[in-house]
Amino acid sequence: MIDFGLPLLIGYTLFPFAFIIFSNYLFEKTEFANYIFLLIALSFISKFSEPKRNNFLKSIFNKKKYKNLRIVENIIYCIPFTLFLVYKKQFVFSLILNLLIIVFTLLNFSSNINVTIPTPFSKKPFEFTVGFRKTFYVFPIAYFLTYISVSVENLNLGIFSMLLVGMACFSYYSKIENEYFVWNYNLSSKEFLIEKTKTCLIFFSLLSLPIIITLTICFFGEIDILIIFFLLCYAYLTAIVFAKYSSFPNEMNMSQGILIATSFIFPPILFIFIPLFYSQSIKKLNTVLND
Amino acid sequence: MIKIKKLSKFYGKKQVLNAIDLEFRKGKVYGIVGENGAGKTTLFRCISGLENYKGSISSDFQNLKDHLGLLQTEPFFFSKITGKEYIQLLANSRQIKLSNIEDKNIFDLPLKQYASTYSTGMKKKLALTAILLQENDIFILDEPFNGVDIQSNLIITEIIKRFKELEKTLIISSHIFSTLADTCDEIYLMKNGEIIKKVKQIDFNRLESEMKEFTIGNRIEKLELK
Repeated sequence: MIDFGLPLLIGYTLFPFAFIIFSNYLFEKTEFANYIFLLIALSFISKFSEPKRNNFLKSIFNKKKYKNLRIVENIIYCIPFTLFLVYKKQFVFSLILNLLIIVFTLLNFSSNINVTIPTPFSKKPFEFTVGFRKTFYVFPIAYFLTYISVSVENLNLGIFSMLLVGMACFSYYSKIENEYFVWNYNLSSKEFLIEKTKTCLIFFSLLSLPIIITLTICFFGEIDILIIFFLLCYAYLTAIVFAKYSSFPNEMNMSQGILIATSFIFPPILFIFIPLFYSQSIKKLNTVLND
Repeated sequence: MIKIKKLSKFYGKKQVLNAIDLEFRKGKVYGIVGENGAGKTTLFRCISGLENYKGSISSDFQNLKDHLGLLQTEPFFFSKITGKEYIQLLANSRQIKLSNIEDKNIFDLPLKQYASTYSTGMKKKLALTAILLQENDIFILDEPFNGVDIQSNLIITEIIKRFKELEKTLIISSHIFSTLADTCDEIYLMKNGEIIKKVKQIDFNRLESEMKEFTIGNRIEKLELK
């Protein structure tokens, strides 16, 4: 929470409310909420099954203490889920969750897959290389949605698929890199930002090209709407690249996050935010790059 | 050449570097030794331009950092970048076009694997390979021998000697005195943010025994080993 610029006390106070609101929303929206809830809870505690961590614990504690520790930490972590299931009178699911928790304490597995996923972006700075490997499954989904949008003649769905690609690319720029990787550039701050933005927009265009071509051909009469949304993606991507470096070498803070969130509600405000983030980034980058 | 005059660095009220005067010449290898927290890494970060400081650092280059290869004590790696992509990334950032990276893989690293899965020694070797291929004039190597196997140790020592012949400037920190004695022209001893001794090659043996005497003293006796 501190990493996101949220004071710890406020974070801990807000968390239970956020949890209750989200859980209620989930149970209102779908009849499969029980199963989704179970999966979310188990994905939380799966982090405790990392072999490296557990080998360390085993080297410190004897078998009995280790087992007890694993069971207790899993139960504590799942208390909010258990309580919410009980509140929803889902006693069977609550019982299943707690049984699965105990089963999980017997398992050691790594959630990281170390298979090298091929990427077409490995020649340029890391954002798309890393990001593509983390979200590669998004693109077939987006292309499939485009296909559906054409077959049911629904442009909105097609635009959504383009926005989905845009959102994936947007997420690649949400975390700041180690200062060493900025320092290494023999570019000025301005050149550095232009290079980063150029790379981002070109790669986004490449990834969304199949969608844009398809939608242009099939919905040619509404090409103006398509262009507007495409330019909107460009604007948001430019904003996030500049925002990323506006607190360099630190992560984006709460206020910058709020500004970005505001721009989602009122996009024209990007005309103010983009130059603002740009000037802040130049100032911050000048500390390690050439003026 | 790099000239450092009256270099001081504060973290809040704590002084980490205290009025350091140093000169690093072309074609020379310099060693910096000192216990943990003596200020070696901070000194390197100041020279690199990663920290602000009081005093002055000047060089023959307009932008020193663009000619500087920095090997950090613990190099940082992204979670899903292969060894080859890491090398490419660092070369690209200096506008260097690299071809046949595999042929330049002198430490036989698994370049197609994610670098974050490498062992400590392999990470160090990858980071070193990347900065060696950046065509730098000056190298700052912070603990280059840490966690590295004996074969690679020999390769690194040989690279340092070759760079010296190529008139490059190298500044190295290490806790392994013998590796520094093998390669350095001068060794500077740091303590509490100050350079307390500058020793030329001829006096390395004396420095080593003085360091041993100073560091070990009668500490072991305190353990009353039986």
